[in-house]
Amino acid sequence: MSSRADFLRSLPYFATLGAEEIKRMEKDLLECSFGKGELLFLEDEPCQGLYAVRSGQIRIFKSSSEGREQVLLIAKPGDTFNDVPVFDGGPNPASASALEPSTVCIVPKETVLSLVADCPSALTIIRLFAARLRHLTLLVEDLSFRHVVSRLAKTLLELAVVEGGPSPVPRLTQDEMAAMVGTIRDVISRALRALEKAGAIRVEGRRILVVDPEKLRGII
Amino acid sequence: MSAIPEIDLEKCTGCGDCVEKCPTKAVELVRDKAIIVRPEDCNYCTDCEAFCPSGAIKCPFEIILTKLEPQS
Repeated sequence: MSSRADFLRSLPYFATLGAEEIKRMEKDLLECSFGKGELLFLEDEPCQGLYAVRSGQIRIFKSSSEGREQVLLIAKPGDTFNDVPVFDGGPNPASASALEPSTVCIVPKETVLSLVADCPSALTIIRLFAARLRHLTLLVEDLSFRHVVSRLAKTLLELAVVEGGPSPVPRLTQDEMAAMVGTIRDVISRALRALEKAGAIRVEGRRILVVDPEKLRGII
Repeated sequence: MSAIPEIDLEKCTGCGDCVEKCPTKAVELVRDKAIIVRPEDCNYCTDCEAFCPSGAIKCPFEIILTKLEPQS
């Protein structure tokens, strides 16, 4: 196996770093081994740092409350993962487990952030990208685990505003709702009827009234 | 005023599909353009929007948070 310094230099994140910086990162690096099936970290736990696979394969996945899983990535030697929470400061957006006996290197969050500490605008840009990536991860979760009625309920709850308030009332056609939820307009029409039957909303002409937000939240 | 679909007369080709599909005959062709002539009869079923081949008809919904009591 290559030295830690060589391994760090082989990662795209650190390929352009000088010897001094690589040395500093090497000092802060943690190396951990995991057996097949062992969990590295769980979704929503605080982020330890940026992970890089030295050997083996790591499965990055999201889980539903019913126990279904959606694999987002199979990380192989040389791949990094868990980048998003390093830069946006949030919790782990997904879980990770070893598909086979694996060794990973963990570069602590603070060490990674120190690389861009002297360029605040670069950090701001990276944070925005990280936030967008986290949003896409949540979209994958929605599309994988939630059925259409549940996804529409979530969308309506997010969009609904009080009339006469500071925010303008959103206006969406059924085609636009379908595009947001990932379905077609006929299915939206049926889903609206289902939500109305459940008592969570009422459709009056061109108005969709969220009459019971708690009920809507329970359907999500 | 009851809700009625929004018709973009520039996009409307006067094909008449909406007139044919409208269950309440609220829409008619006037000088080769679709017009809601009987707005009081429109029940906002959105069939005209679904069948318009040129995308000239839009039926947007307002999404409103209200504190009304839910109907049983």
